[in-house]
Amino acid sequence: MNTFDLQKPTSIEGAAALLPTSSDSRQAVLLAGGQDLLGELKDGLVEPERVVNLKGVAGLDAMNWEADGSLTLGALVTLQSLAEEPRVLEEMAVLAEAAQQVGSPQIRSVGTVGGNLNQRPRCWYYRNADSVCLKKGGTHCFAQLGENKYNAILGGGPTYIVHPSDLAPALVALGASAVLVSPRGRRTVLLSEYYLLPADDGITRETIREPDEVLASVHVPVQRQGMRSTYIKFRERGSYDWALSSVALCLWMSDGMTTGARLVLGGVAPTPWRCESSELLLVGHAVDEQTIRRVVDEALRQAEPLSDNAYKVPLTKGLVTRALQTLAS
Amino acid sequence: MNERKSINRTHGPDAPFGEFSRVGKRARKVDSMAVATGQAMYTDDIQLPRMLHGKFLRSPHAHARIRSIDTSRAEALPGVHAVVTGSELPVAYGVIPWTEDETALAVDKVRFVGDEVAAVAAIDEDTASAAVRLIDVDYEVLEPYFDPQDALVHHEPAIHEGNRKGNISKHVLLEFGGVDEAMAASEVLIEDDYAFHGTAHAPIEPHCAIARWSGDGVLTLWSSTQIPHYVHRLLASVLGLPAHRIRVIQPYLGGAFGGKSDPFSHEFCVALLAKKAGRPVKMLLTREETFYTHRGRHPMQMHFRTGCDAKGRITAVDSKILIDGGSYSSFGLVTTYYSGQLLCGPSDFPNYRFDSTRVFTNKPPCGPKRGHGSVQPRFALEIQLDRMATQLGLDPIEFRRINCQSENTQTVNGQTVTSNGFLQCLDAVEEASGWKKKRGKLPPNRGIGIAGSMYISGTNYCVYPNDMPQAGILVKLDRSGLATVFTGTSDIGQGCTSVMATLVAEELGLRLDQVRVVTSDSDLCPVDLGAYSSRITLMAGNAAVDAGRKLRKQVQEAVAEKLEIAPGQVMLADGFAFDREDGDRRFTTQEAFQFAEAKFETLSASGSYNTPERGGDYRGGTIGASPAYSFTAHVAEVEVDPETGDVHVHKLWIAHDCGRAISPVQVEGQIEGSTYMGVAEVQLEHHEVYTGETAEAGLHMRPSLLEYTLPTTLDTPELEALIVESIDPEGPYGAKEAGEGPLHGSLPAVANAIYDACGIWMTKLPFTPGKVLAALKAHQAAGSSGAPNEGAN
Amino acid sequence: MRILHFQLNGDDAEVAAPDHWTLLEVVRYRAGLTGSKQGCDKGDCGACTVHVDGRSVLSCLTLAADIDGRQVTTIEGLSNVDGLDVVQDCFDGAGALQCGFCQPGMMMAARQLVTENPEATREEIKEALASNLCRCTGYTKIYQAVEEACRRQRQCTTERAGGAP
Repeated sequence: MNTFDLQKPTSIEGAAALLPTSSDSRQAVLLAGGQDLLGELKDGLVEPERVVNLKGVAGLDAMNWEADGSLTLGALVTLQSLAEEPRVLEEMAVLAEAAQQVGSPQIRSVGTVGGNLNQRPRCWYYRNADSVCLKKGGTHCFAQLGENKYNAILGGGPTYIVHPSDLAPALVALGASAVLVSPRGRRTVLLSEYYLLPADDGITRETIREPDEVLASVHVPVQRQGMRSTYIKFRERGSYDWALSSVALCLWMSDGMTTGARLVLGGVAPTPWRCESSELLLVGHAVDEQTIRRVVDEALRQAEPLSDNAYKVPLTKGLVTRALQTLAS
Repeated sequence: MNERKSINRTHGPDAPFGEFSRVGKRARKVDSMAVATGQAMYTDDIQLPRMLHGKFLRSPHAHARIRSIDTSRAEALPGVHAVVTGSELPVAYGVIPWTEDETALAVDKVRFVGDEVAAVAAIDEDTASAAVRLIDVDYEVLEPYFDPQDALVHHEPAIHEGNRKGNISKHVLLEFGGVDEAMAASEVLIEDDYAFHGTAHAPIEPHCAIARWSGDGVLTLWSSTQIPHYVHRLLASVLGLPAHRIRVIQPYLGGAFGGKSDPFSHEFCVALLAKKAGRPVKMLLTREETFYTHRGRHPMQMHFRTGCDAKGRITAVDSKILIDGGSYSSFGLVTTYYSGQLLCGPSDFPNYRFDSTRVFTNKPPCGPKRGHGSVQPRFALEIQLDRMATQLGLDPIEFRRINCQSENTQTVNGQTVTSNGFLQCLDAVEEASGWKKKRGKLPPNRGIGIAGSMYISGTNYCVYPNDMPQAGILVKLDRSGLATVFTGTSDIGQGCTSVMATLVAEELGLRLDQVRVVTSDSDLCPVDLGAYSSRITLMAGNAAVDAGRKLRKQVQEAVAEKLEIAPGQVMLADGFAFDREDGDRRFTTQEAFQFAEAKFETLSASGSYNTPERGGDYRGGTIGASPAYSFTAHVAEVEVDPETGDVHVHKLWIAHDCGRAISPVQVEGQIEGSTYMGVAEVQLEHHEVYTGETAEAGLHMRPSLLEYTLPTTLDTPELEALIVESIDPEGPYGAKEAGEGPLHGSLPAVANAIYDACGIWMTKLPFTPGKVLAALKAHQAAGSSGAPNEGAN
Repeated sequence: MRILHFQLNGDDAEVAAPDHWTLLEVVRYRAGLTGSKQGCDKGDCGACTVHVDGRSVLSCLTLAADIDGRQVTTIEGLSNVDGLDVVQDCFDGAGALQCGFCQPGMMMAARQLVTENPEATREEIKEALASNLCRCTGYTKIYQAVEEACRRQRQCTTERAGGAP
């Protein structure tokens, strides 16, 4: 690992003030749990002069239930505490299940909500210190030239990463928003608008977060009564692994009919992939075989697999089917 | 060749009077306390005063000529103490003396991304890494060869330009009997293509070596090697140093599995760097570098034809195998032979042909991984056996019983089988797995499958021909009551240190705490050829029994004098020497050793072992020859998820014939660990390089433990190890190997279980969800007739 | 260079380390405690697992600066003058130690589980050890070791509570 200065500000504003004003990440990066950042530092993917440690900021690890039943998660809330929080388990199973399936036990005990949402891609061409891919300022996305079984089938081009976060699909399904703080002030954005497709200026970065912004907290609004939810993650290994495909589903039903749905896919696109047209096909229908078929076909209708990842289409359809059947039964 | 000593090895020292007192007991390992407490010193744990740290410059190109190297900027960097390049270590070497095609650093050419080009020693790793980046190399980039088929046909310029066979590393064609006639007369003929994808060993300890020169010019090398003796020999040759001025020590070793068998670049470079710097130097490879250093299991493309008659007797086996060797020979000559030579049991067949070709490609070099050479063709053959059984409507276990060769027989390729417990292995897994209630009767998408295998207990001949023993050992007894065993055997976690202690304790009637073992230090220990080919228990074990028995005789004589009985009436057990007629007439072994020391002077004995004459009478007939063969049967139970293509392996039952279990806990550990490693190759692990047509071609695609996906606790099936003891006449008290045989069947057993689950034959490893989904889809398209659908994967 | 004050295996420790050093580097190369192993240096294997304030962390993914003022326990701190910790003893007794390189980390992870959940089922043991790769054992004997350690921990608790012997 290259040398750097470690700074430990005591306020969010103080942290933001230490961040670079331009997109030159060589100046400074943010440290939360460090479970992704230290890997990046060791591989030389970032070589900052300054690392800004958020752990000196009091209260960032707080999880607050507001009076209206909504939930505010500080950026430093650990994945383990989120997965074990009784009210999250009860009221927002999709979020607890997503947190529970991140990384491994030791990573969850240190890894944070903020870090999980802002982790960098796991694409092996990006992670390989010796390859200069499009994402790192090169000329090619090697996923188009070489093996690409882990890459995107939706929303890809000109790069084909998949966003690695498990929390992101769950939080998008819950309609969550993020609070960003910078020396210029504070803004709140919906997480569904936080992530960038490569074609929308998301080649060298994955989110709209500016270099001098800190993701301070995430707000999960109170959900309409009667929500059932689940997060299903398919991965090669039972631990230490990202999703080949995952499904975050929130479902509202009444008298056997779906009255509302939010369906978000993970592991298949450069962003959490909301399937709004599929959601519409659910509303007003029973979750029967025919509806499920229409829903899954619609969800993957725009899929454009690369040479090695066509399997993700039937796989994802299978996972959506399972999620629907689980929640409807 | 010396005349072989005759030792009655199959029984305990007091047989038939006494039971074993140490052998076969569920004991703790004698050297595990240091491990449990964190005291065990592995190579990287050693810190020497004034020690420098070394780093490599590695090739960024898969295939290139080196026009020039300029190290001046690196040498000028403050903190840098030495730099070496290929011209300083030009002597070619290789673990097999007939294929010496490696140099410590690239001299004029690089042959894979990661090939070592220069090495630097500096005050710390960061400085050494910075210096490496200051070395300027002018390359002439050449077209790389990644596809072995392509490398077979095109070879201008060849990867090894002096090679008269183009890019062919080794070709072996052997035929026994008349394959074509037998095939033509067969009732059932199965023909198909199979593929093994290439995997790495991935021990949790990365390679590490430390070199120090003493004032009188003696080089000491500490290295995480599993074969210190071959490192010793080749250090002498490459450094141009008399062998007696070199001392090689293998500290505690954090796993090897074959991956630490070759002499490596870092072992030579660290020695020269230390000499040039005048200070000790350590080179610790990063995890990424261990993936480039590789020597993993060879990718193989295998075409198999197998025939049988109407009763299910196998008539002939015919294989054509293309082996992707990567950039250097390593053990490749042996690999090529093993891909055919080790298949001729436990199923017997009268006609056999194999045609195996190993080809060089511009990828990290392949080498020996646990189950060297035979895991891949075993996968193909055992699936073919199941397909024949299926076609004849025979139960696959019954099919293997019909074809099981006997004990004390010759295989079709002329190898001598002594003991053979394969039928007992089949019985054991059939019973334990509930096979009869499950096969063909499990719910949809759930299935059970069988496979069998055999493996060598050591290779009969050393890689460099000589008449000296394969294994030597020294045992010293002293008046404290302690026996000290000095052995060159390499404990790589498999527990041979405990096996040596157990055997010596058995012979001398000692408790395990009364034996200490000094291992793998060439100054202190007699030569043993090291931890490869599953040789140590049988070979070094026989040497240990030999030495122990000599001392036992002296102790018995001395005690007999005191007790005034015949020496043969003196028994040694549990720390006592006593009269077998009257157990109250006894001395402690400490007293007994003192009587013996007084009578015979200082007590020590050497023991050694040499192999019997074995092997077929043809060129290559000694490769694959072993004093004894182990046998294994695997049953796997799996569930296939038709929606995701996920294959969940629930459980494996593994019965392994290890001759006799000297240490049953350790035998179980070897069975469980081998099978875990085999199952990992079915689904998860894949060593591969990027082959896109950009400058990055040749980069390893998964050079971390994360990306290479080693199985975690949540990915490993339940494993039930069952020990079968056939008591082999060649092994110490009847023991054979247990460390590699129990890997083989885990792959085909899973494949055969998948067929039972959902009617598809998976033939191309690894079985990824994508391949399984495609095969299921093709199967559905072909109708549910049960017809195998080829080409689906 | 930063001066860190923390508790290391029960002793006060004062260590100078550069900002970019990890806890693993401090433990191995400053404190000389080489029991914690570097298998991958990327948080991918768990061989470097130590306890910080009683919880398992990957010391190679922990900046040393973050342990200032905290309690660190390594494998060397697990046993004491009374002998081996129950986890160490059970790992040895079950034959779970082959090459041993992953085991310091594995035993630290197991220790946390045995402390927090001595009633752990086989499935819970698998979940708790899913950060720690072992290449030798196939994990079977590790599960047996942890089950035995849990049993002895429960027995110990029962005895302390004055229950049945």
